[in-house]
Amino acid sequence: MTALKILSVLVENKPGTLFRVTHMIRLMRLNIEGLTCGVTNGGDRSRITMTVNGDDATLDFLAKQLSKVIDVYEAQTYSPEEVTARELALIKLNLSSVSHLDDRRLQGARIVETSDRSITIEVIGSPAEIDRFIHRFDSTQILELARTGTTAVPKG
Amino acid sequence: MGVDFMHEISGAQAVVETLRQEHVKYVFGMPGGANLPIYDALLDSGIRHILARHEQSAAHMADAFGRVTGRAGVCMGTSGPGATNLVTGIATAYADSSPVVAITGQVPKAMTGRNAFQETDVIGVMTPITKYSIQPLSAEEIPSGIKKAFYIATSGRPGPVLVDIPKDVQQEVRDIPFPESVEVRGYRPYVEVDPLAVERAAEMLVKAEKPLIMGGGGIRISNAYEPFQAVSELLMAPVITTLQGKGSFPEGHPLCLGPIGMHGRAESNKLVSECDLLMAVGVRFSDRSTGTFSEFCKQAKIIHIDADPSEFNKNKQVDLYIRGDANQVLTKVYNALARRISRRSDSNPWLARIAQVREEMKSIPAYTDYDSELSGPKIVRKMREVLPPQTILTTGVGRHQMWCEIHWRVLKPRTWITSTGLGTMGFGLPAAIGAKVAKPDVPVVDFDGDGSFMMTENSLGTAVDEKIPIVSIIVNDRSLGMVEQWQRLMYNRRFSGVKFGNSPDFVKLAEAYGASAKRVTTLEEFGKALKEGISLDSPAVIDVPVSSEEDVFPFMPPGKSIKETVVGPPKEMAIF
Repeated sequence: MTALKILSVLVENKPGTLFRVTHMIRLMRLNIEGLTCGVTNGGDRSRITMTVNGDDATLDFLAKQLSKVIDVYEAQTYSPEEVTARELALIKLNLSSVSHLDDRRLQGARIVETSDRSITIEVIGSPAEIDRFIHRFDSTQILELARTGTTAVPKG
Repeated sequence: MGVDFMHEISGAQAVVETLRQEHVKYVFGMPGGANLPIYDALLDSGIRHILARHEQSAAHMADAFGRVTGRAGVCMGTSGPGATNLVTGIATAYADSSPVVAITGQVPKAMTGRNAFQETDVIGVMTPITKYSIQPLSAEEIPSGIKKAFYIATSGRPGPVLVDIPKDVQQEVRDIPFPESVEVRGYRPYVEVDPLAVERAAEMLVKAEKPLIMGGGGIRISNAYEPFQAVSELLMAPVITTLQGKGSFPEGHPLCLGPIGMHGRAESNKLVSECDLLMAVGVRFSDRSTGTFSEFCKQAKIIHIDADPSEFNKNKQVDLYIRGDANQVLTKVYNALARRISRRSDSNPWLARIAQVREEMKSIPAYTDYDSELSGPKIVRKMREVLPPQTILTTGVGRHQMWCEIHWRVLKPRTWITSTGLGTMGFGLPAAIGAKVAKPDVPVVDFDGDGSFMMTENSLGTAVDEKIPIVSIIVNDRSLGMVEQWQRLMYNRRFSGVKFGNSPDFVKLAEAYGASAKRVTTLEEFGKALKEGISLDSPAVIDVPVSSEEDVFPFMPPGKSIKETVVGPPKEMAIF
């Protein structure tokens, strides 16, 4: 049975590492639904966090194969319940779609930029919260939308 | 950790100096525009360069050198086509976990990504088929990069490592640091063997009434021959092998049943479904060995020992796994067993059953039914009669290779060199050259098919010019025989794209290269030609015309379970 899983991979922060990791995902014919990558403390390592849809066996296999890649320190898979997950979305709205800045639909978001035709807001939350936030607007009201993809740390 | 500097040397000189420090004596390769500086430096290095005729062959030579010695073989190519020609050879080494360091020239850094002449993103191309790849971006990075390549290629589960060096980096003149040793963060090829797992394994082995031991390529990689044999003899447990693991246990030994698999020994394929415990060492349970995974050995408990933890439960769910170097783990398992038992008796119901199956199998068509004078199995057996035990045998891929799997007996460690994982036709001749360079004092014979031989036949030029006396036997059926067999058995004799014409005449071809050559028509002539061939100090080719109609049996058809092994031609389709 396939389900969304979080794949967390701690790697050397150097050129080519992301390629070594993502080529394994391609080999297993999985689609990357979300991907974040950033340096961790110290600066010489990065954490790649991917959201992929797959069955447990495939993902366990993938994590083992990734652990074998020379520049990978560790690779773990988690179900969404096992991690604290956050995502950031930047949403550029058609200014005419928002009646005023205390529009209830903007609750929980932060306004980061405005222009004479648009307003850009920032939302941070779990992937599900971001989904729900986006659904407050219809597609004609959203001019542009960028989501970072999930980043996560295991609970506890 | 000490670091020595060499002053005012070029990156290319640093390449060659690092190779010297890694005790490299031979390099197999071809020069071109982007690796000219390295070739210039090689000339004064004392390292012998062996000029291939195609980079694929250079990679096979380095691969075989690695398999024979356990040290990394080194191959070189220029950028672009030089590097892409290496690909098949590197993939072959990767599939069989063979230590190779491939050094390619690359276009100058400033030209990168501009579709420069002979530019290929070779790291992009080879990442899926190498254990690692390194691209030094300054001359100072070359020694540590190449040392890392050797360390990674030969440690843990070995494999090929690519070092891709832009031409301008080869040309930089600098004060260059040479670290005494290198460390690769995050790479832990060796782990402490779990003592509890060892004790559990010993308990399981002692309790088993029908134990069977299975050896793979990992036995060779870790030189675990001695403890492997010791464990088997202590338990009186018979041994089966994979095709890559053939020879991990002496094949003349009474406890050796031989390889399992698609063209394994019938007795091995049968008995693996009767044991109550299988201890598999240095194997990866490939589909060619096991057939349908779920049906394989499902009646038994399985212990799996391997250096690579990603192999555990990959193809086959096991009851216990132990991570570690096979030599270390088996030594510990032996000690744990020796504390519990003394050498088991050689008479018990399981050994009686083994003897019974062996007796039954003696008369199967696959082992008896050879019509023609020059039948594949007869040729292989004759070859064993003629060749001394220490002879290294390499093969191509196809029927001739499978006849060896079934009928050739490997008597000494590291004398069976064949491409199993990738199944690369064309491997045999260049592999023989690499093996002979590694072990000049033993006879090296390439047992080949005509189809395989033709893929890299120009390596004869290398053998002749470089005075590397190997013998190639061409089992010549003017056909892609293994494919023809499948078309005969599974495609209703519709032969599509398998028949060669009469070109070339292998005797004339060999003579044109300056090798001696003979065509034989009887088994006796074959034996004589072979004896003569290994006594020469120059390369020899023996052309053995055979029928393309002789199929290889036993045969476990693709997609079937090991219990469905067919032991004779279809008219007597005997299924266990």
